Amino acid sequence: MSEQALTTPRWTGKFETFAITFGIAFAILYTLCVSWNWPAFTYHPAVNKLDLGWHPGRSGEGPPMHWYGWLVVSAAGAFALSWIATMISRQWVQRATAFCCIVAVSWPIFFAMSVFIANRTSFDAEFLKSIWISAIPASAGAAAVSWFVPSQWVQRLWPGWLLIIPIGAFLLLGNSLKQLFLR
Amino acid sequence: MDIIFDIISVNTFWKILLFIHFTLAVALLGAITLQAVAVLVPAQQPAGNFIDHVRAVPPASYVPVVVALYVPQVIMGMWIYIKYRTYVRIPMEQTGHWSIVAAFDAKEHVVAIGMALLPAYWCFWRGHPVNPEYSSTRKWLTVLLAFVVWYSFINGHVANDFRGVGS
Repeated sequence: MSEQALTTPRWTGKFETFAITFGIAFAILYTLCVSWNWPAFTYHPAVNKLDLGWHPGRSGEGPPMHWYGWLVVSAAGAFALSWIATMISRQWVQRATAFCCIVAVSWPIFFAMSVFIANRTSFDAEFLKSIWISAIPASAGAAAVSWFVPSQWVQRLWPGWLLIIPIGAFLLLGNSLKQLFLR
Repeated sequence: MDIIFDIISVNTFWKILLFIHFTLAVALLGAITLQAVAVLVPAQQPAGNFIDHVRAVPPASYVPVVVALYVPQVIMGMWIYIKYRTYVRIPMEQTGHWSIVAAFDAKEHVVAIGMALLPAYWCFWRGHPVNPEYSSTRKWLTVLLAFVVWYSFINGHVANDFRGVGS
Protein backbone atom coordinates (compact mmCIF):
# COMPACT_ATOMS: atom_id res chain seq x y z
CA MET A 1 0.00 0.00 0.00
CA SER A 2 1.43 3.41 -0.92
CA GLU A 3 2.33 6.00 1.68
CA GLN A 4 -0.39 8.27 0.37
CA ALA A 5 -3.02 5.55 0.74
CA LEU A 6 -1.95 5.06 4.34
CA THR A 7 -2.16 8.74 5.20
CA THR A 8 -5.28 9.65 3.18
CA PRO A 9 -8.45 9.62 5.32
CA ARG A 10 -11.13 7.17 4.21
CA TRP A 11 -13.69 9.91 3.48
CA THR A 12 -11.22 11.60 1.10
CA GLY A 13 -11.12 8.53 -1.12
CA LYS A 14 -14.90 8.29 -1.05
CA PHE A 15 -15.30 11.96 -1.86
CA GLU A 16 -12.88 11.55 -4.76
CA THR A 17 -15.00 8.68 -6.12
CA PHE A 18 -18.16 10.72 -5.57
CA ALA A 19 -16.77 13.85 -7.27
CA ILE A 20 -15.39 12.07 -10.34
CA THR A 21 -18.52 9.94 -10.80
CA PHE A 22 -20.79 12.95 -10.32
CA GLY A 23 -19.01 15.01 -12.99
CA ILE A 24 -19.13 12.18 -15.53
CA ALA A 25 -22.67 10.99 -14.73
CA PHE A 26 -24.10 14.50 -14.80
CA ALA A 27 -22.65 15.21 -18.25
CA ILE A 28 -24.10 11.96 -19.65
CA LEU A 29 -27.51 12.31 -17.97
CA TYR A 30 -27.81 15.98 -18.87
CA THR A 31 -27.07 15.24 -22.54
CA LEU A 32 -29.71 12.47 -22.50
CA CYS A 33 -32.26 14.72 -20.76
CA VAL A 34 -31.76 17.51 -23.30
CA SER A 35 -31.63 15.20 -26.33
CA TRP A 36 -34.71 13.20 -25.39
CA ASN A 37 -36.45 16.06 -23.57
CA TRP A 38 -36.86 14.60 -20.10
CA PRO A 39 -37.43 17.51 -17.71
CA ALA A 40 -38.72 16.75 -14.19
CA PHE A 41 -41.05 19.69 -14.64
CA THR A 42 -41.86 22.54 -17.02
CA TYR A 43 -41.96 26.10 -15.73
CA HIS A 44 -44.12 28.77 -17.35
CA PRO A 45 -42.45 32.02 -16.22
CA ALA A 46 -45.04 34.43 -17.61
CA VAL A 47 -47.81 32.96 -15.44
CA ASN A 48 -45.55 31.47 -12.71
CA LYS A 49 -46.92 27.94 -13.15
CA LEU A 50 -45.29 24.51 -12.90
CA ASP A 51 -46.28 21.34 -14.75
CA LEU A 52 -44.81 17.95 -13.95
CA GLY A 53 -42.74 16.42 -16.75
CA TRP A 54 -42.49 17.85 -20.24
CA HIS A 55 -45.25 20.23 -21.22
CA PRO A 56 -45.65 22.37 -24.34
CA GLY A 57 -46.36 26.08 -24.09
CA ARG A 58 -50.04 26.95 -23.76
CA SER A 59 -51.64 29.76 -25.69
CA GLY A 60 -51.54 33.03 -23.76
CA GLU A 61 -49.21 31.65 -21.08
CA GLY A 62 -45.86 32.60 -22.61
CA PRO A 63 -42.89 30.32 -23.38
CA PRO A 64 -42.26 27.14 -21.37
CA MET A 65 -38.87 26.56 -19.66
CA HIS A 66 -37.48 23.04 -19.46
CA TRP A 67 -33.90 23.79 -18.39
CA TYR A 68 -34.62 23.71 -14.63
CA GLY A 69 -36.37 20.38 -15.10
CA TRP A 70 -33.40 18.92 -16.99
CA LEU A 71 -31.06 20.11 -14.22
CA VAL A 72 -33.14 18.44 -11.51
CA VAL A 73 -33.28 15.07 -13.31
CA SER A 74 -29.56 15.10 -14.17
CA ALA A 75 -28.43 16.26 -10.72
CA ALA A 76 -30.64 13.76 -8.88
CA GLY A 77 -29.55 10.90 -11.14
CA ALA A 78 -25.87 11.83 -10.92
CA PHE A 79 -26.12 12.19 -7.14
CA ALA A 80 -27.71 8.76 -6.79
CA LEU A 81 -25.11 7.09 -9.06
CA SER A 82 -22.22 8.83 -7.28
CA TRP A 83 -23.56 7.79 -3.90
CA ILE A 84 -23.82 4.18 -5.08
CA ALA A 85 -20.26 4.47 -6.45
CA THR A 86 -18.95 5.29 -2.97
CA MET A 87 -20.47 2.03 -1.67
CA ILE A 88 -18.69 -0.34 -4.05
CA SER A 89 -15.00 -1.08 -4.61
CA ARG A 90 -12.93 1.47 -6.55
CA GLN A 91 -11.99 -1.20 -9.11
CA TRP A 92 -15.63 -1.91 -9.95
CA VAL A 93 -16.43 1.79 -10.14
CA GLN A 94 -13.59 2.28 -12.60
CA ARG A 95 -14.73 -0.63 -14.79
CA ALA A 96 -18.39 0.49 -14.66
CA THR A 97 -17.31 4.05 -15.52
CA ALA A 98 -15.27 2.79 -18.47
CA PHE A 99 -18.25 0.75 -19.72
CA CYS A 100 -20.73 3.66 -19.43
CA CYS A 101 -18.32 6.17 -20.97
CA ILE A 102 -17.42 3.93 -23.92
CA VAL A 103 -21.15 3.39 -24.56
CA ALA A 104 -21.75 7.14 -24.31
CA VAL A 105 -18.94 7.91 -26.77
CA SER A 106 -19.48 5.07 -29.24
CA TRP A 107 -23.29 5.11 -29.38
CA PRO A 108 -23.56 8.44 -31.26
CA ILE A 109 -20.67 7.36 -33.52
CA PHE A 110 -22.38 4.05 -34.39
CA PHE A 111 -25.67 5.88 -34.86
CA ALA A 112 -24.11 8.42 -37.24
CA MET A 113 -22.46 5.55 -39.17
CA SER A 114 -25.78 3.63 -39.34
CA VAL A 115 -27.63 6.65 -40.70
CA PHE A 116 -24.83 7.23 -43.23
CA ILE A 117 -25.00 3.61 -44.38
CA ALA A 118 -28.83 3.61 -44.47
CA ASN A 119 -28.81 6.69 -46.71
CA ARG A 120 -26.27 5.15 -49.14
CA THR A 121 -27.57 1.61 -49.59
CA SER A 122 -29.64 0.62 -52.64
CA PHE A 123 -31.84 -1.71 -50.56
CA ASP A 124 -34.23 -0.73 -47.75
CA ALA A 125 -32.10 -0.24 -44.63
CA GLU A 126 -34.39 2.14 -42.74
CA PHE A 127 -34.16 -0.07 -39.62
CA LEU A 128 -30.54 1.13 -39.27
CA LYS A 129 -31.87 4.60 -38.46
CA SER A 130 -33.24 3.34 -35.14
CA ILE A 131 -31.21 4.71 -32.24
CA TRP A 132 -31.64 1.35 -30.43
CA ILE A 133 -29.98 -0.66 -33.21
CA SER A 134 -26.74 1.30 -32.76
CA ALA A 135 -26.93 0.69 -29.00
CA ILE A 136 -26.20 -3.02 -29.61
CA PRO A 137 -22.66 -2.72 -31.07
CA ALA A 138 -21.91 0.18 -28.70
CA SER A 139 -22.82 -1.86 -25.61
CA ALA A 140 -21.13 -5.03 -26.87
CA GLY A 141 -17.93 -3.15 -27.70
CA ALA A 142 -17.98 -1.31 -24.38
CA ALA A 143 -18.53 -4.54 -22.45
CA ALA A 144 -15.65 -6.23 -24.25
CA VAL A 145 -13.26 -3.31 -23.79
CA SER A 146 -14.11 -2.61 -20.15
CA TRP A 147 -13.89 -6.30 -19.25
CA PHE A 148 -10.70 -7.29 -21.07
CA VAL A 149 -8.58 -4.16 -20.76
CA PRO A 150 -6.01 -4.46 -17.91
CA SER A 151 -7.11 -2.81 -14.69
CA GLN A 152 -4.07 -0.48 -14.68
CA TRP A 153 -5.33 1.08 -17.94
CA VAL A 154 -8.85 1.42 -16.59
CA GLN A 155 -7.44 3.03 -13.47
CA ARG A 156 -5.23 5.44 -15.41
CA LEU A 157 -8.03 6.48 -17.72
CA TRP A 158 -10.62 6.92 -14.94
CA PRO A 159 -10.08 10.64 -14.13
CA GLY A 160 -9.57 11.31 -17.86
CA TRP A 161 -13.26 10.54 -18.53
CA LEU A 162 -13.95 13.72 -16.59
CA LEU A 163 -12.54 15.63 -19.57
CA ILE A 164 -13.58 13.35 -22.44
CA ILE A 165 -17.27 13.09 -21.50
CA PRO A 166 -18.01 16.81 -20.90
CA ILE A 167 -16.18 17.78 -24.11
CA GLY A 168 -18.15 15.10 -25.98
CA ALA A 169 -21.35 16.44 -24.39
CA PHE A 170 -20.50 19.99 -25.53
CA LEU A 171 -19.97 18.72 -29.08
CA LEU A 172 -23.21 16.71 -29.14
CA LEU A 173 -25.29 19.46 -27.59
CA GLY A 174 -23.67 22.03 -29.87
CA ASN A 175 -24.47 19.86 -32.87
CA SER A 176 -28.10 19.65 -31.74
CA LEU A 177 -28.22 23.46 -31.90
CA LYS A 178 -26.77 23.57 -35.42
CA GLN A 179 -30.15 24.08 -37.08
CA LEU A 180 -30.94 26.98 -34.77
CA PHE A 181 -27.51 28.51 -35.44
CA LEU A 182 -27.98 28.27 -39.22
CA ARG A 183 -31.64 29.24 -39.33
CA MET B 1 -40.93 41.42 -3.53
CA ASP B 2 -43.78 43.98 -3.46
CA ILE B 3 -41.89 46.01 -0.84
CA ILE B 4 -38.91 46.24 -3.21
CA PHE B 5 -41.11 47.20 -6.16
CA ASP B 6 -42.62 50.04 -4.06
CA ILE B 7 -39.15 51.58 -3.93
CA ILE B 8 -37.74 50.74 -7.38
CA SER B 9 -39.34 49.79 -10.67
CA VAL B 10 -39.43 46.18 -11.86
CA ASN B 11 -37.03 47.01 -14.71
CA THR B 12 -34.55 48.67 -12.35
CA PHE B 13 -34.71 45.63 -10.05
CA TRP B 14 -33.80 43.26 -12.88
CA LYS B 15 -31.09 45.61 -14.10
CA ILE B 16 -29.54 45.65 -10.62
CA LEU B 17 -29.57 41.83 -10.56
CA LEU B 18 -28.03 41.76 -14.02
CA PHE B 19 -25.33 44.17 -12.91
CA ILE B 20 -24.49 41.98 -9.88
CA HIS B 21 -24.41 38.98 -12.23
CA PHE B 22 -21.98 40.87 -14.46
CA THR B 23 -19.77 41.92 -11.52
CA LEU B 24 -19.55 38.35 -10.24
CA ALA B 25 -18.78 37.21 -13.79
CA VAL B 26 -15.85 39.61 -14.10
CA ALA B 27 -14.42 38.45 -10.76
CA LEU B 28 -14.85 34.78 -11.73
CA LEU B 29 -13.35 35.37 -15.15
CA GLY B 30 -10.31 37.02 -13.55
CA ALA B 31 -9.77 34.24 -11.02
CA ILE B 32 -10.15 31.31 -13.43
CA THR B 33 -8.07 33.00 -16.16
CA LEU B 34 -5.21 33.71 -13.76
CA GLN B 35 -5.37 30.15 -12.50
CA ALA B 36 -5.39 28.74 -16.04
CA VAL B 37 -2.32 30.88 -16.88
CA ALA B 38 -0.54 29.77 -13.71
CA VAL B 39 -1.28 26.14 -14.45
CA LEU B 40 -0.44 26.23 -18.18
CA VAL B 41 2.77 28.28 -17.96
CA PRO B 42 3.97 27.99 -14.37
CA ALA B 43 6.89 30.23 -13.40
CA GLN B 44 9.99 28.31 -12.36
CA GLN B 45 10.90 31.03 -9.88
CA PRO B 46 9.31 34.32 -8.70
CA ALA B 47 10.50 37.10 -10.96
CA GLY B 48 10.18 40.76 -11.87
CA ASN B 49 7.29 41.86 -14.04
CA PHE B 50 3.52 41.60 -13.56
CA ILE B 51 3.06 38.61 -15.90
CA ASP B 52 5.78 36.65 -14.09
CA HIS B 53 4.13 37.40 -10.75
CA VAL B 54 0.78 36.13 -12.08
CA ARG B 55 2.45 32.91 -13.25
CA ALA B 56 4.16 32.49 -9.87
CA VAL B 57 0.94 32.52 -7.79
CA PRO B 58 0.20 28.98 -6.55
CA PRO B 59 -2.76 27.83 -8.71
CA ALA B 60 -4.40 26.07 -5.74
CA SER B 61 -4.94 29.41 -4.04
CA TYR B 62 -7.54 30.38 -6.66
CA VAL B 63 -9.72 27.32 -6.05
CA PRO B 64 -11.83 28.56 -3.09
CA VAL B 65 -12.41 31.87 -4.93
CA VAL B 66 -13.49 30.12 -8.15
CA VAL B 67 -15.89 27.80 -6.32
CA ALA B 68 -17.23 30.61 -4.12
CA LEU B 69 -17.92 32.72 -7.21
CA TYR B 70 -19.12 30.01 -9.61
CA VAL B 71 -21.93 28.68 -7.39
CA PRO B 72 -23.65 32.01 -6.57
CA GLN B 73 -23.06 33.08 -10.16
CA VAL B 74 -25.01 30.05 -11.43
CA ILE B 75 -27.80 30.65 -8.90
CA MET B 76 -27.95 34.30 -9.97
CA GLY B 77 -27.99 33.25 -13.62
CA MET B 78 -30.83 30.79 -12.97
CA TRP B 79 -32.87 33.61 -11.46
CA ILE B 80 -32.17 36.13 -14.22
CA TYR B 81 -32.80 33.43 -16.84
CA ILE B 82 -36.54 33.81 -16.15
CA LYS B 83 -36.38 37.42 -17.30
CA TYR B 84 -34.18 36.50 -20.27
CA ARG B 85 -36.70 33.89 -21.43
CA THR B 86 -39.64 36.30 -21.45
CA TYR B 87 -38.11 39.73 -22.01
CA VAL B 88 -34.99 39.13 -24.14
CA ARG B 89 -35.35 35.85 -26.01
CA ILE B 90 -38.79 36.55 -27.50
CA PRO B 91 -37.66 39.79 -29.22
CA MET B 92 -34.50 37.95 -30.36
CA GLU B 93 -36.67 35.32 -32.04
CA GLN B 94 -39.02 37.91 -33.48
CA THR B 95 -36.14 39.81 -35.06
CA GLY B 96 -34.48 36.61 -36.32
CA HIS B 97 -31.30 36.69 -34.21
CA TRP B 98 -31.21 32.89 -34.20
CA SER B 99 -27.44 32.53 -33.83
CA ILE B 100 -27.54 34.54 -30.58
CA VAL B 101 -30.45 32.41 -29.32
CA ALA B 102 -28.54 29.22 -30.17
CA ALA B 103 -25.31 30.49 -28.60
CA PHE B 104 -27.20 31.35 -25.41
CA ASP B 105 -28.84 27.90 -25.36
CA ALA B 106 -25.35 26.42 -25.62
CA LYS B 107 -24.34 28.62 -22.68
CA GLU B 108 -27.03 26.95 -20.53
CA HIS B 109 -25.56 23.53 -21.32
CA VAL B 110 -21.95 24.58 -20.83
CA VAL B 111 -22.65 26.25 -17.47
CA ALA B 112 -24.68 23.28 -16.18
CA ILE B 113 -21.96 20.75 -17.03
CA GLY B 114 -19.28 23.12 -15.69
CA MET B 115 -21.13 23.30 -12.38
CA ALA B 116 -21.14 19.50 -12.14
CA LEU B 117 -17.35 19.48 -12.61
CA LEU B 118 -16.79 21.73 -9.57
CA PRO B 119 -16.69 18.93 -6.93
CA ALA B 120 -13.96 17.13 -8.90
CA TYR B 121 -12.11 20.40 -9.57
CA TRP B 122 -12.15 21.19 -5.86
CA CYS B 123 -11.18 17.64 -4.94
CA PHE B 124 -8.20 17.55 -7.34
CA TRP B 125 -6.77 20.80 -6.02
CA ARG B 126 -7.04 19.81 -2.32
CA GLY B 127 -4.15 18.80 -0.12
CA HIS B 128 -0.60 20.05 0.42
CA PRO B 129 0.96 19.03 -1.84
CA VAL B 130 -1.77 18.20 -4.34
CA ASN B 131 -2.03 14.57 -5.46
CA PRO B 132 0.51 14.10 -8.32
CA GLU B 133 -1.60 11.22 -9.71
CA TYR B 134 -4.10 13.76 -11.08
CA SER B 135 -1.70 16.47 -12.32
CA SER B 136 -2.72 16.23 -15.98
CA THR B 137 -6.47 15.96 -15.32
CA ARG B 138 -6.23 18.81 -12.81
CA LYS B 139 -4.53 21.07 -15.36
CA TRP B 140 -6.94 20.38 -18.22
CA LEU B 141 -9.99 20.48 -15.97
CA THR B 142 -8.94 23.98 -14.93
CA VAL B 143 -8.51 24.97 -18.59
CA LEU B 144 -11.93 23.46 -19.41
CA LEU B 145 -13.55 25.47 -16.63
CA ALA B 146 -11.79 28.59 -17.92
CA PHE B 147 -13.32 27.88 -21.35
CA VAL B 148 -16.77 27.45 -19.71
CA VAL B 149 -16.47 30.79 -17.93
CA TRP B 150 -15.14 32.64 -20.98
CA TYR B 151 -17.81 31.21 -23.28
CA SER B 152 -20.55 32.08 -20.78
CA PHE B 153 -19.20 35.57 -20.22
CA ILE B 154 -19.04 36.42 -23.92
CA ASN B 155 -22.52 35.08 -24.63
CA GLY B 156 -24.00 36.77 -21.58
CA HIS B 157 -22.44 39.99 -22.75
CA VAL B 158 -23.91 39.61 -26.26
CA ALA B 159 -27.38 38.94 -24.79
CA ASN B 160 -27.00 41.96 -22.53
CA ASP B 161 -26.08 44.12 -25.52
CA PHE B 162 -29.24 42.96 -27.24
CA ARG B 163 -31.51 43.91 -24.36
CA GLY B 164 -30.00 44.55 -20.94
CA VAL B 165 -28.18 47.17 -18.89
CA GLY B 166 -27.25 50.14 -21.04
CA SER B 167 -28.67 48.68 -24.26
